[in-house]
Amino acid sequence: MVNSVIAGLTSGGGYALLGLCVVLTYRLVAVVNFAMTAVGAFGAFVMVSLTDAGLDVWSSLVLGAASAALLSAALGAALVRWFAGHRERTKAAVTVALYVALTAVGLRLFGGTTTGAHRFPDPFGAPVFTVGGVVVPRSVLVSLAFAALITLGVGLLLTRTGLGLRLQALSERPATAEVVGIPAPRLAVGVWAGVGAVTMLVIVLVAPRLGGDFSTLSGLISTALAVAMVGAFRSLPLTLAGGLVLGCLEGASSAVESIQKYQGVVPFLVILVLLWWRSRGEVWDTAHSR
Amino acid sequence: MAAAPALALAGVGVDRADVPVVRDVTLDVAPGAVTVVLGANGAGKTTLMDGIAGLARPTTGSIRLDGAPIERLPPFKRARAGLGYVEQARTAFRTLTVEQNLLVARSGSGDLGTVYRLFPELERRRHLHAGHLSGGEQQMAVLGRALVSDPKVVLIDEMSLGLAPKVVHRLMGTVAELAAMGIAVLLIEQFANLALEIGSRAYVLRKGRVVHSGPCAELRGAEDRLHELYFGGRLADAAARLAREAPGREASRGASAEPPEAGSRTP
Repeated sequence: MVNSVIAGLTSGGGYALLGLCVVLTYRLVAVVNFAMTAVGAFGAFVMVSLTDAGLDVWSSLVLGAASAALLSAALGAALVRWFAGHRERTKAAVTVALYVALTAVGLRLFGGTTTGAHRFPDPFGAPVFTVGGVVVPRSVLVSLAFAALITLGVGLLLTRTGLGLRLQALSERPATAEVVGIPAPRLAVGVWAGVGAVTMLVIVLVAPRLGGDFSTLSGLISTALAVAMVGAFRSLPLTLAGGLVLGCLEGASSAVESIQKYQGVVPFLVILVLLWWRSRGEVWDTAHSR
Repeated sequence: MAAAPALALAGVGVDRADVPVVRDVTLDVAPGAVTVVLGANGAGKTTLMDGIAGLARPTTGSIRLDGAPIERLPPFKRARAGLGYVEQARTAFRTLTVEQNLLVARSGSGDLGTVYRLFPELERRRHLHAGHLSGGEQQMAVLGRALVSDPKVVLIDEMSLGLAPKVVHRLMGTVAELAAMGIAVLLIEQFANLALEIGSRAYVLRKGRVVHSGPCAELRGAEDRLHELYFGGRLADAAARLAREAPGREASRGASAEPPEAGSRTP
């Protein structure tokens, strides 16, 4: 059981990072990006296709991340160009449509659950040390370090740098940001590109544990959204914690045979519990009378 | 010989949701002076400002900043070319501190010291989040933000909205000071007489078109004339009659002359 929970931390670190990407996209460009993991999975499969074709892992990784960044930037540019003045729900609907389209194209190109499972490189799979009979794989440490690094780095970027100030201004008042000289469209596309690349890297990190098929990996968006909800789409540390807890819950559920097959329901349960918890103080006629 | 205009509009039209709101507007904004745009609510004043700043796309005409065409530039490039914009309502970045509000807009030669000299209270509160400031202080921060971008022209849209008369007078004084520093100011203001006091040239918009242009002195204290320009013939008579019959009530916010405690209202 403890081994499973520890192993779940690998996925937990990945989930935390995916949640952070959702939160950052929402905070900085005000879009709930449902297509995020599909874009990341696309880049991950570009990478694995290149390694299958004989290219070395690091070059493939760079090219895969670049392709995810490009795809994500193209989506961001389209939203900035054609949907800048639209409501959040319209923009979210556009990303849902793109998620469906990308998943269909991805399944066609890279195969489904039964035909398209690829072998992702797993350089961090070896155990790094054992404590009291509990094996700690290197991937746990890498995943946790990556998640902590991104959380800290993004926090510092936003509060301590000129770019971060401009990003905060952009997230609060996009139109005003433009009239004070901030290149809002360019910055927004940059955010989309960065999020695309990081998502791809996270998916490559968790793919060896979750299985290397396109639909499973692009479907990670439900987990990412559940994690983002823990942080209320705002708090980076809470999102980080939410991802780790979710990973541990998944790990624990995989250790109990009777509930193992329901492991995929964990994010849904987390969303359900959070919705209930957040709405417990609401009064019907004020909260639901619109 | 008159100085070349810092901002020149020729035949400018601006649409909102494909509906023409501003039509064929031609106006000049001189450097070192305050140019006033007046008009009733819905006359198209804010749309005109948005068109100049790039937040709404002009459909016709040309906009020249210091002689260079800017009508096709995105808003941030217009800002970098020397166009400051104080939008309607208070648009300070509430989650940033006062100093950060200024820093995000500062251009190479922009000076925070000038802003703090004009508004010493901002220096005292420079580490406070803008969301915690009073309405007047927020507006000072927004005006300061426009200043640190080292602008040639500043557009100011109804900055007195919701502010105490004392603060409005203080801000109007600062606007006059900006003009004295050589900056060209294009001012939209609900309190017409306050704007006309510090302005040198006035334009009146009605239904998106310029119906009057001339020295501000011509319109100072001429409420009947303003009503006529705002509303046209018969409507103006009705507005003036309404104002005479009920002196405590505004015929229109767009035609009010001064903030309540600062002087008499439009008749």
